[in-house]
Amino acid sequence: MAHERLSRRQYITATGVIGGISLTGLSGYLSDGGVQEETLEIVHWWTAGGEEEAIESLLDGYQEANPNVEIDNNPAPGGAGSALDVAIRSRIVDETPPSTFQIWPGESLRPYTDAGVLASVEDIWDDNMRDAYLESVMEAASPEDELVSVPINIHRLNNLFYNVEVVEDAGIDPEGIEDPADVLEALEAADDAGYVGMAHQTTTEWSTVQLWETVFVGQHGADVFEAYIAGETDDLEDEVRESLDLVVDYSEYFSPDAGAIAWDEGNAQVINGDAAFIHQGDWAAGQYGEAEFEYAEEWDYVPYPGTEGVYSMVMDSFVMPEPNPSPEATEAFLEYCGTVDAQERFNPIKGSIPPRTDVPIDEFPPFLQNQMEDFEASEEQPTTIAHGSAVRPEIKSEIEEAFSRFIETWDVEETTQDLLGAHEAAGY
Amino acid sequence: MSPSRSRFRHRVRRVRERVISLVTGSGSDRRERGNSSNGRRDQGDSEDLAAAGTDESARDSVRTNGTARVAADGGTATSTGFRVRDRLDRLRFNETLQAALFWVPPALLMGWFVYGAISWNFVISLTDWSGLGQPDYASLNLEMYWRMLDDRSFIAAARNTVALLVVFTGGALVVGLLLAILVDQDIRFENTFRTIYLLPMSLSFVVTAIFWAWMYNPETGMINVVLRGLGLEVFAMNWMSDPRTKLATIIVALTWQFSGYCMIVYLAGLRAIPDEHYEAAKVDGASTVRMYWRVIIPQLRAATTSAAVVLMVFALKAFDFIFVMYGTTPGPSADILAIMMFREAFARTNWAYGSAIAMVLFLMALAIIAPYIYVQYRRGEL
Repeated sequence: MAHERLSRRQYITATGVIGGISLTGLSGYLSDGGVQEETLEIVHWWTAGGEEEAIESLLDGYQEANPNVEIDNNPAPGGAGSALDVAIRSRIVDETPPSTFQIWPGESLRPYTDAGVLASVEDIWDDNMRDAYLESVMEAASPEDELVSVPINIHRLNNLFYNVEVVEDAGIDPEGIEDPADVLEALEAADDAGYVGMAHQTTTEWSTVQLWETVFVGQHGADVFEAYIAGETDDLEDEVRESLDLVVDYSEYFSPDAGAIAWDEGNAQVINGDAAFIHQGDWAAGQYGEAEFEYAEEWDYVPYPGTEGVYSMVMDSFVMPEPNPSPEATEAFLEYCGTVDAQERFNPIKGSIPPRTDVPIDEFPPFLQNQMEDFEASEEQPTTIAHGSAVRPEIKSEIEEAFSRFIETWDVEETTQDLLGAHEAAGY
Repeated sequence: MSPSRSRFRHRVRRVRERVISLVTGSGSDRRERGNSSNGRRDQGDSEDLAAAGTDESARDSVRTNGTARVAADGGTATSTGFRVRDRLDRLRFNETLQAALFWVPPALLMGWFVYGAISWNFVISLTDWSGLGQPDYASLNLEMYWRMLDDRSFIAAARNTVALLVVFTGGALVVGLLLAILVDQDIRFENTFRTIYLLPMSLSFVVTAIFWAWMYNPETGMINVVLRGLGLEVFAMNWMSDPRTKLATIIVALTWQFSGYCMIVYLAGLRAIPDEHYEAAKVDGASTVRMYWRVIIPQLRAATTSAAVVLMVFALKAFDFIFVMYGTTPGPSADILAIMMFREAFARTNWAYGSAIAMVLFLMALAIIAPYIYVQYRRGEL
């Protein structure tokens, strides 16, 4: 009996101690998460190799310029922001946003501007910055009338990368391919020579979304693409069908294991010399660098045939949510993101080009130097559907669903109707 | 008297009564009015009914205070002071109050974080909340539920969820039972085998999804390599991209992961069956198959039920696996409600529609759990 009572008392004590500890832990969170003037909490999804280094280098630069600010680097890892969306949207609804977070500029910003939770950053954009940014980039940074974000990097989507040796062996001259339909002939030639024509993944839908939109721009021009993303789809049935037809034709030359691989496994097929081509954003070049696969000698690229003079932009930007826990630190951070110093630090490591056109090119590897020249010389800079800037997230999700059906059935007719009706189905 | 008085406390009270009656030597005393049988819910138990009867008769005729004095009838024979003391005593010995320290905090926490959240989710599903603003609770209706009937994505996801639920649960139970029977044959290294079979369950879905994707690879994956090696090239398919086998890729991988768990549950069930049953069946001349089919398996009903409930709930939540393998839009042949709920809520900020899908999932889970709980309750095992 005495023993029993003792053990019960111990039990209660233990419970109490555990409770006390957990409460202390909780209160620690409460005070940490609270508003502290000088702590900049930054949420982003850059946690893989080079990306992580790039953001750290950016934050180092910011810290040097603002030694008094404490930085709370709070990544939400997950491909293309899948986890970040969850974290940020919940926090916005709860009205406890971080100081700043990563987001694709353009239509991705709409849910936030609709809810009026993004502060105007017009003041941060001084004349020097406005002169250095292209008009199209500034438009993406201001989905409504005023600027609400600061783009920090630009990737290009419309590239066709290839393995030099494979292409030579198959007797293909990539520079000579003129339009998306000619790509099909090149894929055939590679196939005849015993290679995979186009490394591609269909496990998830996004690679096919971006292939289709690039083919669409290549076939019909950026203007028609702009009409599509604006929802003016009434007269576009033939155009949409034509581009989908071509993607189905391509699919014969996709990696035979397309349905079971991720995009980087597809890219590895190009590196290994199994596949001739891959259509990807220029982040694919980062993998070549890691594999010590030499630019111009072992791999090379052309703008996707039919899209010369077009720079399809995949951008990242930072914003200032309201109510902001650290208005001054956030403002200083966004100002910093718009400087030459920040963009020169961040982009060479990230493998993207700076949105400012006055950043010295010496620090950049040769491939990016070419891209920077292409960017400045480009006539049109559309944004992309697959990477969030071209259409609202709701419409993007509708289009992704259409493509998730497409890569199961390859049904052009059904997908054409789905794509034409995507805006309406999403309620816009 | 709290109507939610638990059976456990009731037992504790009975034990205490017995101890007290032993100490005082009287058959029934120290009853509190608060402990009358009015609130009792466990009428299925005959012993309790009998106890309740004693309770009823003892309640008014026998009353004691702290000194174990017996009063004939409290209503007529006591002064006001006595009543106050009596009431205080009753309060002091009221177990509901005494136990409150232990059950109130968890009950409040559970009530708020679990049942409160579920109720709030239901209310949100009645609004038309979307976007990043705040919900408008002024007009509540069932619009989101009607919308499902018209939504081919929902229908596909619901169909896949049910298919996954049924086939995966059945598959894992059958495989688990076979493994359990094999491991139960007094084999050597039994513990080793048990651990090997149970091990997949300890792996995270993220890990298993990635390596099953490698196994399913039509070019280099183990499955097709083995099929080709056996000369069965006709069967070497594009497992993950063929809509006919896409859901099967998920079911097979999950079955592999959870059949070890079923094996453990069944093994415990098999060990509880006395050897005489096997011997009697053998003596009666039953074949091994017949013995298991007629004699052993029917005795594993409880194991089957509890394993099936766990598996079905896992099937409803197979989110991680599909998310890693196919992303947030797995396509109509692999989409399930859990993934669709995530997509609607977080990709499209359709909070209300997402909540409605969550309610459907909740009701499905309830439809599985409730009969099980009820049966357990009826058998007095709860």
